[in-house]
Amino acid sequence: MSALAEFRGVGFAYPAREGGGGFAIRDLSFTVGQEEIFGVIGPNASGKTTLIRLLSRVLAPSRGDVLLEGEPLGRLTRAAVATRIAVVPQDVPQGFPYTVEELVLMGRFPYAPGRFFESEADRAIAGEAMGLTGVSALRHEPLDRLSGGERQRVILARALAQKPRLLVLDEPTAHLDLRYQAECAGLLRRLNREAGLGIVLVSHDLSLAAELCDRLLLLAAGAAVKVGAPEAVLEEATLEAVYGCRVVVDKHPVSRRPTVQVVWPNA
Amino acid sequence: MSPASRLGSALAVLALVAAATALAALFVGSAPISPRAVVAVLTGRAQAQGVDEVVVLSLRLPRIAAALLAGGALAVAGAGFQALTRNPLAEPSVLGVSSGAAFGVVLAQVFGLRAGLLDALGLTAFAFGGALVAGVAVYLIASRAGGLPVHTLLLAGVIVGIFFSSAITVLISIVDFDRLGGVIHWLLGNLSPVPAGALGVFAAVAAVGFWLVLGQSRQLNLLALGEEGALQLGVNAERVKRRIFIGAALLVAAVVAFVGPIGFVGLIVPHALRMTLGPDNRVLVPTALLAGGVFLLAADTLARNLVAPAELSVGVITAFCGAPFFIYLMRSRAVRLAP
Amino acid sequence: MRAAAALVLLLVLPGTAVALTLTDQTGRRVSLAGPPTRVISLVPGVTETLFAIGAQDALVGVTEFCDYPAQARLKPRVGGMLAPSLEAMVALKPDVVIATTSGNREETFTQLERLKIPVYLVNPATVADVLDLIARLGAVTGREQAAGHLIATLSARIKAVTERVASLPRPRVLYVLWPEPLIVPARGALVSELLALAGGDSVTADGGESYPRYSVEAAVARAPQVIVLASHGSGQGAMTREKWERFTSLPAIKAGRLYTADGNLLHRYGPRVVDGLELLARLIHPEAFPGKGHP
Repeated sequence: MSALAEFRGVGFAYPAREGGGGFAIRDLSFTVGQEEIFGVIGPNASGKTTLIRLLSRVLAPSRGDVLLEGEPLGRLTRAAVATRIAVVPQDVPQGFPYTVEELVLMGRFPYAPGRFFESEADRAIAGEAMGLTGVSALRHEPLDRLSGGERQRVILARALAQKPRLLVLDEPTAHLDLRYQAECAGLLRRLNREAGLGIVLVSHDLSLAAELCDRLLLLAAGAAVKVGAPEAVLEEATLEAVYGCRVVVDKHPVSRRPTVQVVWPNA
Repeated sequence: MSPASRLGSALAVLALVAAATALAALFVGSAPISPRAVVAVLTGRAQAQGVDEVVVLSLRLPRIAAALLAGGALAVAGAGFQALTRNPLAEPSVLGVSSGAAFGVVLAQVFGLRAGLLDALGLTAFAFGGALVAGVAVYLIASRAGGLPVHTLLLAGVIVGIFFSSAITVLISIVDFDRLGGVIHWLLGNLSPVPAGALGVFAAVAAVGFWLVLGQSRQLNLLALGEEGALQLGVNAERVKRRIFIGAALLVAAVVAFVGPIGFVGLIVPHALRMTLGPDNRVLVPTALLAGGVFLLAADTLARNLVAPAELSVGVITAFCGAPFFIYLMRSRAVRLAP
Repeated sequence: MRAAAALVLLLVLPGTAVALTLTDQTGRRVSLAGPPTRVISLVPGVTETLFAIGAQDALVGVTEFCDYPAQARLKPRVGGMLAPSLEAMVALKPDVVIATTSGNREETFTQLERLKIPVYLVNPATVADVLDLIARLGAVTGREQAAGHLIATLSARIKAVTERVASLPRPRVLYVLWPEPLIVPARGALVSELLALAGGDSVTADGGESYPRYSVEAAVARAPQVIVLASHGSGQGAMTREKWERFTSLPAIKAGRLYTADGNLLHRYGPRVVDGLELLARLIHPEAFPGKGHP
């Protein structure tokens, strides 16, 4: 099976005028398999956000190639990319005025960018997506009236309305309380197993990444430190070198997956 | 209600209101013409070249057409620009283009830069020239490595606008005392009967601007997700920004060139519509065309009749009547202000 | 005589409805269907002149500013000078509209011509122009005799003033058209000429073209011996007087020669310009014009 997505020797530097200078990503190569949950972890400024932008064709690599099912992204139109890769951001911008249904329908844009209004088929697909994430009852609510967890599910529904092959999530649990974190994790697992959706999960939360992901990519200063199964990547020595603080890697009492805990100083 | 049906109903209602307002405007004016006489003119039964016919067909009708067109153009430009900059305070004059156009006209008036009296089109050319210079300046100042960031666009627009406004002030300070009144009168914004030929050009330019903005309405909605979010959905953000900017600039330049600078319409009408119809630009842009026209027409009809035969400046009416109405709207409805 | 000429023209020029072609004061050719019997005046000075030459019956419309003589206020109004109502003018069915390039807007002329209403433009800048205007208005309205008579009377009065002040020393005069910003008469301004004719030496005579903005410092530095403040009926007078009275070192203030003059006499291009001239002469040379008292 060919890789769903691939970075081949990718390098990227932001233009010096905009505060860039060094390379935000240097010589990065990895693959994401079909139906895989792939995690991207690393400290701040390690290049995680830039990676998402390169993957979703917001940025073009200065060197190397980003490939989607074997095709270089640069050869595809933005709309075409959007029918195959859906990005789930942390939230919508402050003051976003649309309702749930209006937002989910936006996910249908890449399929017919020339159309003025969405079609009946679009509405049906949006309805399905809302059902999948359990927000159908909220369809006419404006987004700013919803809780963080509900908003997260709505944004996910929009991404699903894009009917992508690959879902890219940017810190999906960052602002969620425990309950919604658990819900989110469960939902992602279901989507992956039942719908065969490939997932790239960028997260600060190392334990969550370990729990959900089949493989992990540990980034530091724009370069890959390690790629592999969570057990292989999440080694105390490696993590301490990358994050600069002492950690303890243990096993989750229920799932037996690795968990990472900080050794708090001055105990 | 789907946006398409919402748009349909809104347009139907607005079209009726527009027709009613236009008809009412035809019946009132400084010249004492009875409603029956007006109807006679409209049905072709009045005396040819008689006073009634001249007043109704050569004075009131062109002025009504100018008001509808100018109001619609300003409202559409305002709606597009507010959505583009995601800023509820944006209005056409923030583009800097209206100040540039005004400067062109004031320059021509101050230096008497025209050959003959019947050179109405010459003044228009100066307005477009000024608008072009301002628009290009804003575009160049705001552009960054192949892109047009929204915050620099706003900033550049404001700066260019301030520059040209100051330039106008300088011109005013050196203008002949005789000419001063006329220049200031023009700057206040006043509608006058635009001759048919000029009206045609006005409509054509406004149509191009409207088409550009309307064509990007769906993309404008997606821009509310932020530029990165829109890009990730397949929106060509740079093309959207360029087209909206050019479209709005054309609309504003046309209004200033043919009618003069009129404020407030471009700010208020899109907001009022957004509060009643929601933020979907596919609904807002077409309805703004009609609603803006109706608003300006109503204001202008008041302006030319309240203290007849003297005329008030239409900008005064739009501000005095628009502000209380807007405050009422704000306080009585769930506010979805952000465009 | 006029009718005969018109008849000849009608016979000689087939197909044209133009029986009368005039040249207005700016040199434009104005084509009328015949001697005008319905005239709209957009200029207060012209309104005054029409009344003064007895042509008021032909006057069918005036502006809100046409307040002299009192009967002028009874004529139908068409609005202000800047934005007269086109509808009101059309409804009055005028044969000609008399307007000025300094006070009315070009837009108005353009619109009137588009509606096939002839516009006769005036732009007097000197006293001679004002007298010429009176003659023209007489010709346009068929009141040449009355106009000629009026011109003769006015010329005589002007001559009387200039002769009286010819041998007198010329005090330095500052004329304040508008206090803030300070606007004064300079080269080519009618008031400048009036000041000279009244035997004064205007300190701002070379300060620019027409009625420019002037710096208060420069005005004060010329140490005027007489200061005349134009009043525009707005009640601003008291405040303006106070402002100038503070310059206690000025010769004019020391000598108590700070006067107010009715702007309508000096800024309207009509027969009362000579009233204005006489007023200025009394203010500048009270010793030569006794018995009339200070205004």
